[in-house]
Amino acid sequence: MTASSLRLASTPLHVREARRKRLVYGILTAFFVVTQILWVGIPVLMAILWSLVDPQHPWSFPQLFPEKLSWAQWAYVFKYTNIVRALKTSYTVAPLAVILSFILSLPTSYVLGRKNIPGKKVFMLVVLLPIIMPGMVVALFLSRVFAAFHLTQSFFGLVLAHTLMGIPYMIRVLTTSFEAIPQDIIDAAENLGANTFIKIKDIFLPMVRPGLLAGMVFAFTTSIEEFNLTFVIGTPTFETIPTILYSFLGYNFIRTNASVVALIMMTPNIVLLFIVERILKSDYLSASLGKV
Amino acid sequence: MDQKKDVALIHYLMILPGVGFIVLFLGSSILITVAQSFGLFSVTGTSRFTLVNWKTLWERETLDSVVFSLKMGVLSSVGTLLFAFPVGLFLRKGGAGKRFLASLIKIPLFIPALVAAFLILNIISYHGIVNEVLLGLGFIKEPLRMLNDKFGWGVVAIQIWKNLPFVLLIVSASLASIRDDIIDAARNLGANNWAILFRIYIPLAMPGILVSMILMFIKAFGDFPITSVAGPTYPPSIALRMRNTATLFQEWDKAAVMGVIIIVTTLFMTWLYSRLAQAVEGGNP
Repeated sequence: MTASSLRLASTPLHVREARRKRLVYGILTAFFVVTQILWVGIPVLMAILWSLVDPQHPWSFPQLFPEKLSWAQWAYVFKYTNIVRALKTSYTVAPLAVILSFILSLPTSYVLGRKNIPGKKVFMLVVLLPIIMPGMVVALFLSRVFAAFHLTQSFFGLVLAHTLMGIPYMIRVLTTSFEAIPQDIIDAAENLGANTFIKIKDIFLPMVRPGLLAGMVFAFTTSIEEFNLTFVIGTPTFETIPTILYSFLGYNFIRTNASVVALIMMTPNIVLLFIVERILKSDYLSASLGKV
Repeated sequence: MDQKKDVALIHYLMILPGVGFIVLFLGSSILITVAQSFGLFSVTGTSRFTLVNWKTLWERETLDSVVFSLKMGVLSSVGTLLFAFPVGLFLRKGGAGKRFLASLIKIPLFIPALVAAFLILNIISYHGIVNEVLLGLGFIKEPLRMLNDKFGWGVVAIQIWKNLPFVLLIVSASLASIRDDIIDAARNLGANNWAILFRIYIPLAMPGILVSMILMFIKAFGDFPITSVAGPTYPPSIALRMRNTATLFQEWDKAAVMGVIIIVTTLFMTWLYSRLAQAVEGGNP
């Protein structure tokens, strides 16, 4: 009998059982973390490597890594493609769509969050429809409606379309924030003689602010990602980052260019949403995706 | 009494900007789709009521597309669930590393669909890393064709990768609402792990499971960009065929019929969703 087995035999059964459980749990955690790092990391890493391949030294089949890395692809994409113009369009349409959807959502969310009106459930379902309805159907036949009002191939039409896709997130998140304000606070303020202006300034605004931030980020990233409506209503007059990426993935598949555009498109999104996650509770994520 | 009515009117007026905006644009586009499928408001030619466009329902190519899209919808939702459920079960129990794991898993949720499509098609392409690793390990003798393959596995892979966090979010919320007492009680009564999985976890998480599967189905069924990039050359998804019929062949009325097919399928699924949402509220007070 060795010393270790002696010690093992002397420890009580439930302690050994707990140790075994902790070990199994640790192995499982390690397994999930490693698979997740590979699951997310490998695709992203491959895209980064492809975007850094030197054009003079192509990366082909038997090589494990590119022979030489350089920024040449990035320089090429910025110099010879429409990416700069697309970036400008994307980042002007998105803030405008966010502002418009905020203005439209505010009164709606206030009523949906605070008043118990008949038909509320139906309204909440209608609000979700732009997310639920398949984008291409909406895009194609909205373009017929827009054509009647000369809104296709127009900047304003693009802003309206992006607002339509972002407004569900804005309304749902704001509604949840309005719902969360305790009625007591409002009653107390009224008892102390607060008027509407004071109520808005000192109660509604501070308490809705986190939700407002979340709604704005969701509407913003939705607009940056929006493909179907932009593709049908905006192109070829207006190109955004997704339509550029689509063109690189389509008939003329250029992997290196696509890598650059993909990285340009995803980085701000991930950063923005992680900032929001840090600032806010993750409840907002589920609130915007629908009540479960 | 009068005052109460007045207040209500103001409330409905206040709802108008947000809900009205959605109803105006979404409603008008749905109306146009339905009208054009019957030959009204025709873009080309004369507008008159006709059922002739609906003949496309019996065309081989349309049927192939519908079947393909249904297949993608079912496989994507079942596939994502198979990946998400074990992770959700694991995340249910707290512990070190869980927070890190949870935020790691969420990353694809923040990656736009087209970017996700590109990231995955990169690794499953003919000489992509997946094929090279499988070749290196000797599992296969020739690289597998996973991209633009006839079946559509490439599309399913992209859908699973992109939507895993979305389904996980819903499923783990459902799993988290199951109380530990029930599981302890079952163990005391002699239930083994399998019994707990099949008779407690799965039935009690069922509302969340069904809702996430329905939402996933809708997404994958009506998808355009992912099938366009990674799908087979034939058949195209129904959304892809609709778009081509409308803008390439200028047969808008025929495209409208396909639009109606997609809308009806989606609305049917949404109806199911609302019924299930009610069941969730009723089941877990």
